[in-house]
Amino acid sequence: MNSTVQFVSILILLLVLATYLILTQTIRRRRRALALRPIAAYNMLPLLVGEAIEADRPIHVSIGSSGVGGDNTILTLAAVELAYQVAQRAAIGTSVPMITTNETSTLPLAHGILQRAYGNRDLLERYRANGARWYPSGAQSLAFAAALTTTLGDERVATNVLAGNFGPELALVLDAAHRRRLPSIATSASPEGQAVAYALSDYPLIGEEVFTAGGYLGESASQGAVIATQDVLRGLLILLILIPMLDALTNGALLATLGRLIGAR
Amino acid sequence: MRHLIALLASVIAIVVGLITLLGLLVGDDLGFLSALVDAFRVRSLADVLLQLVMITVGVTILIGILNLLAVHLGRVVGRRRGWVYSLILVLSTLGVFGLTIAERARLVQTSPDSPAPSMVLFETVQVAVESSLAALVLFALVYGGYRLMRRGVTWKGMLFTAVLLVVLLGALPLQGEGLSLIGQVSRWLMAVPVSAGARGILLGIALATVITGVRVLTGQDRSYRE
Repeated sequence: MNSTVQFVSILILLLVLATYLILTQTIRRRRRALALRPIAAYNMLPLLVGEAIEADRPIHVSIGSSGVGGDNTILTLAAVELAYQVAQRAAIGTSVPMITTNETSTLPLAHGILQRAYGNRDLLERYRANGARWYPSGAQSLAFAAALTTTLGDERVATNVLAGNFGPELALVLDAAHRRRLPSIATSASPEGQAVAYALSDYPLIGEEVFTAGGYLGESASQGAVIATQDVLRGLLILLILIPMLDALTNGALLATLGRLIGAR
Repeated sequence: MRHLIALLASVIAIVVGLITLLGLLVGDDLGFLSALVDAFRVRSLADVLLQLVMITVGVTILIGILNLLAVHLGRVVGRRRGWVYSLILVLSTLGVFGLTIAERARLVQTSPDSPAPSMVLFETVQVAVESSLAALVLFALVYGGYRLMRRGVTWKGMLFTAVLLVVLLGALPLQGEGLSLIGQVSRWLMAVPVSAGARGILLGIALATVITGVRVLTGQDRSYRE
């Protein structure tokens, strides 16, 4: 990494930090400042959890091959936050939510959030350690997907939430869920898994939407600020892509005009 | 006491996160920051922390195996639905453990040219099963595309199905003027709109990753806040 890349990386981090802190304070003071666009998956999730509680059946959340310590660490934290929001709602039911992973490094996190979800509801006595499960995978995650297809039936799962890193094997799980008439919310960090999630799940989450679970389903201002920061920086990124493109299309006239306008002021 | 532990966890996470970030990001040409990193030996500290992460991740494999055995033994003992499969899983796990230990202790003799029995077992069972599952994925995907249109005919669904058909037809190794045109359209679709869409999604994920990373570095993440 050369010094320019290092310098730009530090600048981006500082920009993100400043935007995030300012927006956190703004939302803390004026909660109404945050207007959320509706996302079907997050709108439906509380209803699906309610139905699962009424039917006395568990909710299944899978994090796939996302793990801590690798490229997917932050994605894993985001998926775990979504799992927490599900578990915290489902904790009042008698069936313990099931969190599955094929990465052992995620297992302690899964145990932790289940415990926290029950603890925050003062229902720690209902927590069962077998709620978090590891299914080993082979060279691909196909064995993991196969294990999930049978688990859906054996455990009488009510709803599936598949958020993490999945490949095309996600199709097997979603197909099994469809055959059992189980609603599914799905997303993946990989483009292949994302395409499958979009086509086969009932309520897909797209791209970075999985990172906004806390903001949509939680209460804290800092989680809401994640969504607002994403929107602000996305706008900036679009401008950064569009301006050089328009400048190239106008043979440099755009930036020259902008330069003159700024100079004139 | 609970708040004190949460505070301590947050402080540790912030300090460790900052040390690792600075150690990995700051090189020799960034003036004051480079001098600071050199003075406090931040790079060496970051290396040690990363090695600790690798060791911890290694230990979690043991936790995973114990979890697997505990969950499935519980199902066998409780005679829950599908307990026979759990019994087979437990016996297979223990069998492979036994075989691997026997190999390491040289209790199982194989010729130097032939692969180890555990590897033969892996290739004949695991690889074969995964290959057949990979074939099933295709059918699940095609059926999924069909279901997308059954749910309701929307312009998104129609576009998705049309692109899917063009790409599938374009991949066929057939000759003919019409098919050659479909092949060209398919290649253009893959190179321009599909590639642009995938990059857009990946950029969005990267942006969200940086924001969530900053949230973790400022001690806001739930993993250690509560």
